[in-house]
Amino acid sequence: MSRANHFRLAVFTAIALTTGIAAATDFPATPPAPGPAPQLNVPTPTAQTLPNGLEVISVRRANLPLVTAQLWVRRGGEMDPPRLAGLADLTANLLSKGAAGRSAPQIAAAAEALGGSLDASAGWDESAIGITVTTPKLPQALGLLAEVVRQPDFAETEVQRARSQAIDDLRLQLSQPTALAALAANRGVFGEGAYGHSRHGTPDSLKRITRADVQRLHDALYRPDNAILILAGDITPAQALQLAQASFGDWAKPATPLPPRPAGSAASQLPPILLIDQHGAGQAGVVAAHAAPPRRDDSYYVGSVANAVLGGSYSARLNEEIRIKRGLSYGAGSRLQGLGDGGVWLASAQTKNPSAPQVVELMLGQFKQLGDSRVDADELAARKATLIGAYGRSLETTAGLAGEVAELAIYGVPLDSIGKYVTEVQAVTPKQIEKYARKHLAADDLHVVVVGDAAQFGAAIRKDHPQAVLLQSTALDLDSPSLQAPAGR
Amino acid sequence: MTKRLRSASLMVSLGLLAATAIPHPAQASDLAIPPIQYHQRTLPNGLQVLSVEDHASPNVAVQVWYHVGSKDDPQGRSGFAHLFEHLMFKSTKHMHAEQMDRLTEDVGGANNASTGDDVTNYFEIVPGNHLQTLLWAEAERLSNLNVDEKNFTSERAVVEEEYRQSVLANPYGKLFNAIDPKSYTVHPYQRPVIGSIEDLEAASLQNVIDFHRTFYRPDNATLIVAGDFDPRQLDAWVDQYFGWIPRPATPIPQVTAKEPVRKQDKRYTVTSETAPLPAVAMTWLIPPASDSADRIPLQVAAALLSQGDSSRLYQSLVYRHQVAQEIGAFADTRVGPGLFTVYAVLASGHEPAQAEKLLNEEIVWLATQPIADAELDKVKTQLLTSELKQRQTAQGIAFALGQASLIDGNVQHVNDDLAALQKVSANDVHRVLQKYVTSAKKVTIDYLPQAKAAPDTAKGAAK
Repeated sequence: MSRANHFRLAVFTAIALTTGIAAATDFPATPPAPGPAPQLNVPTPTAQTLPNGLEVISVRRANLPLVTAQLWVRRGGEMDPPRLAGLADLTANLLSKGAAGRSAPQIAAAAEALGGSLDASAGWDESAIGITVTTPKLPQALGLLAEVVRQPDFAETEVQRARSQAIDDLRLQLSQPTALAALAANRGVFGEGAYGHSRHGTPDSLKRITRADVQRLHDALYRPDNAILILAGDITPAQALQLAQASFGDWAKPATPLPPRPAGSAASQLPPILLIDQHGAGQAGVVAAHAAPPRRDDSYYVGSVANAVLGGSYSARLNEEIRIKRGLSYGAGSRLQGLGDGGVWLASAQTKNPSAPQVVELMLGQFKQLGDSRVDADELAARKATLIGAYGRSLETTAGLAGEVAELAIYGVPLDSIGKYVTEVQAVTPKQIEKYARKHLAADDLHVVVVGDAAQFGAAIRKDHPQAVLLQSTALDLDSPSLQAPAGR
Repeated sequence: MTKRLRSASLMVSLGLLAATAIPHPAQASDLAIPPIQYHQRTLPNGLQVLSVEDHASPNVAVQVWYHVGSKDDPQGRSGFAHLFEHLMFKSTKHMHAEQMDRLTEDVGGANNASTGDDVTNYFEIVPGNHLQTLLWAEAERLSNLNVDEKNFTSERAVVEEEYRQSVLANPYGKLFNAIDPKSYTVHPYQRPVIGSIEDLEAASLQNVIDFHRTFYRPDNATLIVAGDFDPRQLDAWVDQYFGWIPRPATPIPQVTAKEPVRKQDKRYTVTSETAPLPAVAMTWLIPPASDSADRIPLQVAAALLSQGDSSRLYQSLVYRHQVAQEIGAFADTRVGPGLFTVYAVLASGHEPAQAEKLLNEEIVWLATQPIADAELDKVKTQLLTSELKQRQTAQGIAFALGQASLIDGNVQHVNDDLAALQKVSANDVHRVLQKYVTSAKKVTIDYLPQAKAAPDTAKGAAK
């Protein structure tokens, strides 16, 4: 069992220790007050660098014999060339599908015999592959991780297989109204910029991707001086360095320079309100999105608290207005994602088709209110507590801990900020939130997308928003910044 | 964000977690997993209390599990147990609607609840200094629920949206929602947990009052506390807040229906307007979860078939033959008769019959041919690692205890099943598959995309 590394404060005294069964009349009408708050213990990450440039970051949580090992490279979907949307994600997926003389089934069997599985994907600014295993299996797991990262085969048959799987995945994803709405809203925010396309590809782009494209991207990005090895869990910094050296020490760094990072956003061709008819959809997906500052921006904590107030949890304003007060959705919320070169605020809710117009208005109203009036002190304290609590819990698992540390490393945020989160969040004031909202959440910069059975909401939305444009989901060209095929096609 | 899950899905995943029970000492690994050191007691009014002290984090998990689920939905009120679960977050004698959120989210915690076929559980995680408050609040809603018409109506609308989201808007929602209705002929498990819009609309506030009085009583509940607390303090608070609640003199209604042995294979077709690809699912009846001698080998069989990319169904259907996009197999064990379920979502250009043939071939092969020791060891190591991952959090430990006590029939399963799992042999896997699957009758569901006819001609040209 874990050794207690923190002591509960002494809230218990003799008074409550009288046993015996109370009577109904003794049941208090108000909840008992809490005792003194316990302290959150956040482990400190240790960063080291191998001679070949590989960053090795370890963070210790030793209560159970588990370690999460992840190899991250800087750059992801932002590097997808025009017309090859989905290349970075497909490349990450293909790492484990044959490498260093082992076939895809052999690699899967090896990883699973260690108790884990190799999970890979590309984000916008990063690509990653990782595995969680028990401590004794870690050296073998790292050996496997090194093989697939350093020596992937990218065999033609595997590229083909991954491509058709990705196309089917995409069909499944795009059949869900909110997923399609989020994709279109993202295009609205980033336009023709590097973050504007579909990171998982499009049915057409995936068909165009060749083995050579995959190999080229791998050569450009998967190199030690562009990579970070994260080890979280039951491991010391000395062990981390030794294991990293054993598996990645002889990984040579190329002489060529790293490719430049493309601009994240560019002009948008989409109207502020876009309706997409998905015939027969069981619900409508409503999404509203804004451009946001990058992850490294000084406004990060203010933005995080603002999002916590708007839609970061069950009790935040969007869910309060849309679900709790009006029963219009099973859940409404928002997220703020800061990226390398820009970012996005995205609010979403799924509702029955005829309610979509009302949900649109409620969502717009809540974005507006954040800049129009100051957040009440009690509400702010409550949402900060929710945010801090969720942050603390996200660090309780080795995978959660690895993810938080990796985000800091990828965006060049000092690693010790993991221990300053609570203080930074507590310092945010209502005035800062109001100022932030006015600067970043202005109504004229909002992209609204509604996907669903448009016969049930199209006319009503267009009555309030005559500029709204209606497209058919079956006629969308997801490769195009306008989502429409060029005229005459 | 989605909370107050209906969670047929959660219950299924809990079932899978139970499969992760780990033997001690674990031979499939170099690790010895220490047993969960739980404490158990029962109050004079019948409330079962399970607790585990663990100071790994400053948080404490508080859960209350009730022995009531969708199998207990009143006549003509399918989905009621789940609707009721939502209403437990509304007003009580001493709490206003959503006060549970004030006592959890607003102080840095979280809460949720789920309804399954057999149980309904309410769970919170809060900083340890709020334990006393949460015990008060759980005792309050067990004893003093007081929902009004306005809250009832608005929350019912939320549940109807949940139905639309999980069944109608989810491309495979209608398939998974059809599995229970098609698999059971007599047992109330045949009602889907989420119910139907019509039955939800028919529910009344009086139904809520009656349901609470009937099932929400201390002798039908288990309180589970795990995490950062002092045991003596916990006992005192539990006595104070729960001890006074009377045990009703009336018996707790029990489901007595017996699901008959299947006499023949059956086949159904379900259509979807939104699913992009067809799917096929097959089910067989299996014994209750309390029959651990058969449950655990069935869980191992399901893992051999479907856990990870090296599993047999993935290798055959997804990798080699490329007829499926996704596969799954699980031993969905319950308090009553459970289901062994396998399914495949087809890859583009393939038909359910192709997947069905391969699914059957793999099952027969697993049921009759030798299983390599290395493959059995692999599955045991996978399950051990999953179990350890679950035990990283207080909430995970509490769920493991609830599953063992209420579904598997005895809290001791949380530790005992570890040893039992380690002893599962190839012969055990053969025995249970032959007994319950290959020599038994199955229900097959074909799930077919069927576009809704366009009501007008405004539809854009298909690309």
